[in-house]
Amino acid sequence: MTDTADTTEGPVRFMPQLIGLDYTIRTNPVAAAFGAALAEGHITGHRCPSCQRVYSPPKGYCPICCVATGADDLVEVADRGLITSWTVLTPIQYAGQKEREDYALASILLDGADGTIGQQRLVEVPLDEIRMGLRVEAVWAPPGEREGDDRGYGLGTAVSGWRPTGEPDAPPSAYQDHTL
Amino acid sequence: MRDVAIVSFATSGSLPAVEDTETQMLFPVISEAIERSGIPRADIGFTCSGSADYLAGTPFAFVGNLEAVGAWPPISESHVDMDGAWALYEAWVRLQHGDVDVALAFSSGISSRSDLREVLCLQNDPYYVMPLWADHGSLAGLQARAAADAGLIPEADASVGTPPASDGAAAVILVAGDRAREVCERPAWIRGIEHRTDPHYLGVRDLTEVPSAEAAGLGDAPVEVAQLSAAHPHEEVLLRRALGLGDEVEVHTGADPLMVSGLVHIGEAFRQINENGRRRTVGHASSGACLQQNLVCVLEGDA
Repeated sequence: MTDTADTTEGPVRFMPQLIGLDYTIRTNPVAAAFGAALAEGHITGHRCPSCQRVYSPPKGYCPICCVATGADDLVEVADRGLITSWTVLTPIQYAGQKEREDYALASILLDGADGTIGQQRLVEVPLDEIRMGLRVEAVWAPPGEREGDDRGYGLGTAVSGWRPTGEPDAPPSAYQDHTL
Repeated sequence: MRDVAIVSFATSGSLPAVEDTETQMLFPVISEAIERSGIPRADIGFTCSGSADYLAGTPFAFVGNLEAVGAWPPISESHVDMDGAWALYEAWVRLQHGDVDVALAFSSGISSRSDLREVLCLQNDPYYVMPLWADHGSLAGLQARAAADAGLIPEADASVGTPPASDGAAAVILVAGDRAREVCERPAWIRGIEHRTDPHYLGVRDLTEVPSAEAAGLGDAPVEVAQLSAAHPHEEVLLRRALGLGDEVEVHTGADPLMVSGLVHIGEAFRQINENGRRRTVGHASSGACLQQNLVCVLEGDA
């Protein structure tokens, strides 16, 4: 099935090629445990036994020390924290786009965690009032509607967004070491 | 040229469908290779990895894999969308510059998340071959048929099955110069390493020959053990001919897991020297349909 178009250089043949590949996602045990805890309303992480850094979501290792982490290193982190950085997205209205209005995704440093969790939706805050150090808390989905991300990258559907708590902003010292 | 040796090797082996992420699968393998080398992780001057995001089904999956290496403080690293044997080659080239002495080369592949019969179609010529969606088993069958018609293999080997598609990872540590002898009792020196490629478009190739393997290959050099990335009996026959391997050479074959088996073959060639006291071995890696690209690595132990 080809089309031919005439150009100033002569006819050009077009061959449409639609390619789709199917992948099976498998959930690793660390992510599965993280998702199970999320369903119960707990955000967990792993503390590195060497440097004591806490990673949430947990990875199953500390990427700084290169030490494996597991259930023995399990800790809970708070469902509140502060914004370290954010992006305001203007959704292009391509076919299939579900977003209509500008919205913001933020990196959030949860109380008790040493790394940020990214791509978190901000809600109940005007876009021009978002700032580094803004203290936020999780808006949890109803129990039974909390599905973890199948690869443990984020919070899945467990948390539908993050809203300001109304507390005073965290000082720069709280977020200045976290650029993302 | 600087003398470069392999001083350690680790592999997960061929794994059935893993649940781990690619990074989690790599983590113990890289750690083991580093521990076995006796060299501190911080002494690694260059890192190169081989993997294919099309296997992982995730763009930039190879970037996340660096967490298994430990990329803080920042490291010097590179990546090839190839079997780890090519990552080893790049690491070898990098060591020739003379400013770093230790390199890590590793690779990983999770083939179990997709159907390789579809994914590998995308590596073929996009105009005439890819639209046929001819899977790698079928294309191998074309080569087997050509080999049988040329009298190179028995008729029974002209029929090929779909090769296995395991998951896995492998890693090696390379050291340049005398430090290799300081950390390793019997290092495997890379006496020759080269890779060549034959034309991409199948229609212009004579499938009964593997010119790129011959061009990259052994010449007149004798080896005791050959580790060949042959997925099928006919591929072993064609590679033996191209590399000039006589019946006296001990040959081990296999091309699974994808992205890893070539580096594993070189690693096994290292083990033959390091653990089994062999003097001269060769590891071979291949990529592309019908042995299109070939890498040959000749290893030698001190006398």
